[in-house]
Amino acid sequence: MAEQNTLCMVEAINLALHRAMTDDPDVVVLGEDVGPNGGVFRATLGLHERFGFRRVMDTPLAETLITGIAVGMAAQGLRPVAEIQFMGFIYPGMEQLVSHASRLRSRTRGRLSCPMVIRTPHGAGIHAPEHHGESTEAMLAHVPGLRVVIPSSPRRAYGLLLAAIADPDPVIFLEPSRLYRSVRQPVADDGQPLPLDTCFTLREGSDLTLVSWGAALKETLEAAARLAEEGIDCEVIDVATLKPLDAETVLASVSKTGRCVVVHEAARSYGPGAEIAALVQEQLFHALQAPVQRVTGFDCVIPYARQEMAYLPDVESICRAALRTLEQAS
Amino acid sequence: MKQFRLPDLGEGLQEAEIIEWHVQPGDTVEVDQLLVSVETAKAIVEVPSPRAGVVSRCFGAPGDLLHVGSPLVEFEGPAEDSGTVVGSLGQAAGHSDLAADDFIIGAAPSSRAARAVRAAPRARQLAERLGVALDTLQGSGTDGLITEEDVQRAAAGPDGGEAVRSVRRSMARNMARAHAEVVPVTLVEDADLHLWPSGQRDPMVRLARAIARACLAEPALNVAFDGVRMSLVRHQQVDLGVAVDTPDGLFVPVLRDVANRDAEDLRAGLDRLRADVLNRSIPPRELMGATITLSNYGTLFGRYASPVVVPPQVAIVGAGVIRDQVVAVDGQPVVHRILPLSLTVDHRAVTGGEAARFLKALVTDLQLAE
Repeated sequence: MAEQNTLCMVEAINLALHRAMTDDPDVVVLGEDVGPNGGVFRATLGLHERFGFRRVMDTPLAETLITGIAVGMAAQGLRPVAEIQFMGFIYPGMEQLVSHASRLRSRTRGRLSCPMVIRTPHGAGIHAPEHHGESTEAMLAHVPGLRVVIPSSPRRAYGLLLAAIADPDPVIFLEPSRLYRSVRQPVADDGQPLPLDTCFTLREGSDLTLVSWGAALKETLEAAARLAEEGIDCEVIDVATLKPLDAETVLASVSKTGRCVVVHEAARSYGPGAEIAALVQEQLFHALQAPVQRVTGFDCVIPYARQEMAYLPDVESICRAALRTLEQAS
Repeated sequence: MKQFRLPDLGEGLQEAEIIEWHVQPGDTVEVDQLLVSVETAKAIVEVPSPRAGVVSRCFGAPGDLLHVGSPLVEFEGPAEDSGTVVGSLGQAAGHSDLAADDFIIGAAPSSRAARAVRAAPRARQLAERLGVALDTLQGSGTDGLITEEDVQRAAAGPDGGEAVRSVRRSMARNMARAHAEVVPVTLVEDADLHLWPSGQRDPMVRLARAIARACLAEPALNVAFDGVRMSLVRHQQVDLGVAVDTPDGLFVPVLRDVANRDAEDLRAGLDRLRADVLNRSIPPRELMGATITLSNYGTLFGRYASPVVVPPQVAIVGAGVIRDQVVAVDGQPVVHRILPLSLTVDHRAVTGGEAARFLKALVTDLQLAE
């Protein structure tokens, strides 16, 4: 049994990177400040020291270049893990992601694949400027050929990052920065990946299903605990892989409970909540006891620090949405 | 140690001279409390503390020149280099739901096992209006879909039957579920109460204590059993469900931690639960989480019973009417007070031997004088 240390998420990510680089000499890390500095959030701490500059590369401040180099490395047999310092800086790399990484396998009829991982902090709540707090996962999840993964605990961050690095196709690995250091738990460095494309059931319940991912799960679980005090028994599902979505788990749960609330901090319109709500009503129209509810961020640029928490879904609004689903006919 | 560095004082000034310290090592400071006065090329600037804490070190003495970004004060507590130049990260503190973090990969077993009641929204709306419980209907549509006609037919009723609602409806559901899942075995025995003080008539407190002690003697009956996952959780304390009969139906409020409460405390707890139930003012959480149940139908009528175990519990004790009965003592007939007991266990989780040992411990404790 591997030794378990109590780690926060950023330390678990660091541990997974150490493990992946140790186990597979093809794994390389690149990005801004990922070398001797250890990364803006310290996710790559110690990698440069241990694996050297040939495998841990500081890049210029140029996301197009970071993403493009990763595509080239991946196409030629390496397993690059690139860091984009904040999700708001990923857009210059979209050309490489959308036009190349996502479709290399299809374009070459399977001759080339693109086993690369882009790691980037996700979401608001750390009082950073607005473009450092974005959650634009829907843009990425919309692109065929990109896999979008987002962990919600140190253990899942460790297991899912290992799986993402081992995956033969491009994975966008979104790291909820609000959770980077806010939760600690024992994490075993056992090299065991967790399954991609699979939801996790964090809380089993029978009255309604709360579906969320990333940092918003903190408030979602708190809402579930508060509703339990009222005698309302919530099931909580961590989507974990947004694309491809594990529809089976979501549908099994909602067909049991007949009620569904999707919680995400991404802006509301055309957000992932709309996709999940559509899926649920297509498949479970006759099992639903109430309309699917969404609790989301607003259709605005993330406010600066003073209003930032007002933008994020809070426990109160999740409870209200849950109660709305329970007012309907049973 | 957490360091606070000389912040950018604006206007591109890169250094400042310390004029006067307002704090010294060991001082407790509040957020925004003045730490130090420094003089730049332009003005004297008061530097406030960015955080509350205990100052462990001040860097530099009056007259020293400090550069922007060099250490100014150190606070007590472990340092953590969280790295970022923009934003601030919350640090882990205390317990949170996320830290516990038990998760199931994929769907929960209960989701896999569940079958939804399928009905179109219009049928649901009609059912709500007419007071028809959808889960009692057999749908006549495709794949058992409940139609509006099904609801109307049910509302009319074959012989004008009334809808079962509320507490009676949950009783019907829970009992049906228990009947479908549990493999019940019932064992009966009498407790001889002749050592009890003569005035004592109500056995509830003694029963609660005896069940707690029997759980100690045979912990196998104080568990939660999940027959789908084939898993068993041993409870660390005895939370006793107490069946209470009301005109509205059956309630089972929970008396917490009965093993560690004295008779007076138990009596008060029982009275309060019963009063809350009868007023219908009992909060839902008081009705959840029993680890074992007691049904004292002795206040009503009846000798033995086969009480129903409700999963995930594995045992229930039934107590009947206390009666005077002729018993043989040293070969002579004498009249003693006798309390009839019935114990039902879920044989999926409990062996016959465990049930018998539990019942023996229960009777032994009840037969004590006090």
